[in-house]
Amino acid sequence: MADSAKLPTPLRYLLQLLAYAAFAAVIGFFSAKPAYRQLADNEAVVKLSFSHSAQLRQPCRERSAEELAKLAPNMRSKQDCPRERSRVAVELDMDGKSLYRIDTPPSGLHDDGAATVYRRLAIPAGPHRFRARLADGPDGKFNYHHEADVDLAPGQVLIVDFLSGSGGFVFTHGR
Amino acid sequence: MAATSFPPPTPSLSVLSALSTLRRGEERLSGTFDHAFDPADNPWRHLGALAFLCLVVAVASGAIAYALYDTSVSGAYQSGLRLQNDPTMLGRLLRGLHRYSADALALLTVLHLLREAVRGHYRGVRWFSWLTGAPLVWLLWIAGLTGLWLLWDSRALYSVTATAELLQALPLAPDLLARNVLTADALNDRFFSLIMFIHIGVPLFLLAAMWVHVQRLSRPRLWPPRSLAIGCLVTLSLLSIAMPAESLGPADTGHVSASQSIDWFYQFPHPLADIASATAAWLLAFAFTALVIALAVLPRMRRSSAKGNVSLPVAQVNLANCNGCSRCAVDCPFGAVEMIARTDQRRHPRQASVIADLCAGCGICAGACPSSTPFRRIEDMVSGIEMPGASIASLREELKRGLASLDGPDRVVVFACRNAADHAALRNTSTLLMRLECAAMLPPSFIEFAGRLGATGTVIAGCREGDCEYRLGDQWVQQRLSGAHEPHLRAVVSRDRLHVIWSGQDIAQVQAAVASLRGGMSGKSSNQASDKGTERVTHSSEAHHD
Repeated sequence: MADSAKLPTPLRYLLQLLAYAAFAAVIGFFSAKPAYRQLADNEAVVKLSFSHSAQLRQPCRERSAEELAKLAPNMRSKQDCPRERSRVAVELDMDGKSLYRIDTPPSGLHDDGAATVYRRLAIPAGPHRFRARLADGPDGKFNYHHEADVDLAPGQVLIVDFLSGSGGFVFTHGR
Repeated sequence: MAATSFPPPTPSLSVLSALSTLRRGEERLSGTFDHAFDPADNPWRHLGALAFLCLVVAVASGAIAYALYDTSVSGAYQSGLRLQNDPTMLGRLLRGLHRYSADALALLTVLHLLREAVRGHYRGVRWFSWLTGAPLVWLLWIAGLTGLWLLWDSRALYSVTATAELLQALPLAPDLLARNVLTADALNDRFFSLIMFIHIGVPLFLLAAMWVHVQRLSRPRLWPPRSLAIGCLVTLSLLSIAMPAESLGPADTGHVSASQSIDWFYQFPHPLADIASATAAWLLAFAFTALVIALAVLPRMRRSSAKGNVSLPVAQVNLANCNGCSRCAVDCPFGAVEMIARTDQRRHPRQASVIADLCAGCGICAGACPSSTPFRRIEDMVSGIEMPGASIASLREELKRGLASLDGPDRVVVFACRNAADHAALRNTSTLLMRLECAAMLPPSFIEFAGRLGATGTVIAGCREGDCEYRLGDQWVQQRLSGAHEPHLRAVVSRDRLHVIWSGQDIAQVQAAVASLRGGMSGKSSNQASDKGTERVTHSSEAHHD
């Protein structure tokens, strides 16, 4: 390679320095900037999240003697309990207006698992009245209700969970 | 020149046109770096190797960081703080190297992918390397993303939550992942053990996948040149000190920051899913993956469906002229030539055998064969290995006829790589243009032969140095001409009459070299040809280097 056409060595080193500096600048900058604005300054967050096993679609029934006789000896359970569970419907209202509603099926290949929901909702910060309703029976009627007044600061998180063992809806602030 | 031309391995004219435009831009960009770096050290030509270096740095620094990391809810965040607050600065250096090498790895991988795409390296024999590169992108993203979670600062919580929201858009993914980080109480130590398991396991897969990625390359350039490696390491180290990779505030499940600092190299899908939708983000990712796969697979499917109708050049071994020296196998850039036990009755123990699926049709093997010499006095000139349609005999005849047809006393022959540029403008009444698939396809003895036939000067023009379309062509040409590699150019050949130019698409450099040779012939200085990229061979031992 002929050297005569090359730039002077100091200039080449300077250009190399600039190339490395540009490389470092790109890495350093995009590793943390620009910040992503995920909320407006006056917004808070509601996270509706639960995992709930709904009621069975059909109640258990007693098997007749004929039915039991047809079954293999090790399968002769007196009760026939269908595994399928009901869908779960949830309505979340804020200040009298619908904020979110969902009708979700049970999980599992045989529809016998828990229905799970996770939704993140941005709302204006400030005092709000929340009302949550849940239906988990075969008739689809809302059988769980909860209402609460919550004052949310900007960026604050309200978690709307459902724990049947604790009596239904639980409103917490995430901490 | 029809005798030495191959059918261009292109799927369609429109694609070819678009690629050609992009390729010109890419070469211009590559040439820009040549102003600062030696061509052999041009970072643009070592993107894959630089990415590998960054992976090794990330793995090595990660191994040390793991020893200092506490995989517990209370300890995860403190582990990061301990390193960044280390008074000796070593912790800051370690964290910075780990983080920034991972970021550089992502950047270099994307650039490497784009460069190879622009150069059309998804088809032909490179399909395998292209296809096996696709999972690397996914593995890299998973490894990088989970690494950011381990710090368990506000950015980690944001990313885990956003990833959970991404995953729940997939049909089979449960909505439960987000519940693991819904409240501080929901989080347990096993979460960090699991993430650490993924963060260590995936890079191991990544290393294995990289090994597969280069399997069909002969002499893969895993490591960048030393100067480039040192420059990269020093840059990352200085960056780590000057701009420490620090944790943000601790993860707070009760608060969401309006403005969130994120690592755009790995966390870019989060804003994308937020602005468009998680489904759109997945569709984009799957479409990108499908496109990458299709680029490699579709041309092969088309070729399979047109069995026998598409003739791709594949090197052919002529056993009667093969003495099993293995030079072709050594020089093949894609490992397409293997040495096997002799199948005829000749005394040589081995013979060359071509694996057709791996043959790129570059003809470098023909240039390496000791029997590829035009001086042989046999009636039917056949080389031990050569390209159909571009045989040594046809090359010899073309050279003889071409030189005989030239006028004037200063007859110059230009052996030009067709992948570097269309050198047609060079052809005139006193300049013979011999187009080759690769400059290394030319056996060095042809230079001497051209002189015997009356050529007063010879120019070899190829892709830019370190940028050979067939990976190793420029390397072999330089080593053969310098005598460092067989077959070498005999010392008796005057190097004053030979110019080797790695000019790529810059034909002006070749024209200048031709003019320089003519000037030299007229008693003028030939130094005017020594433009950038021009190599004037004066002695076999001095002018060429790797």
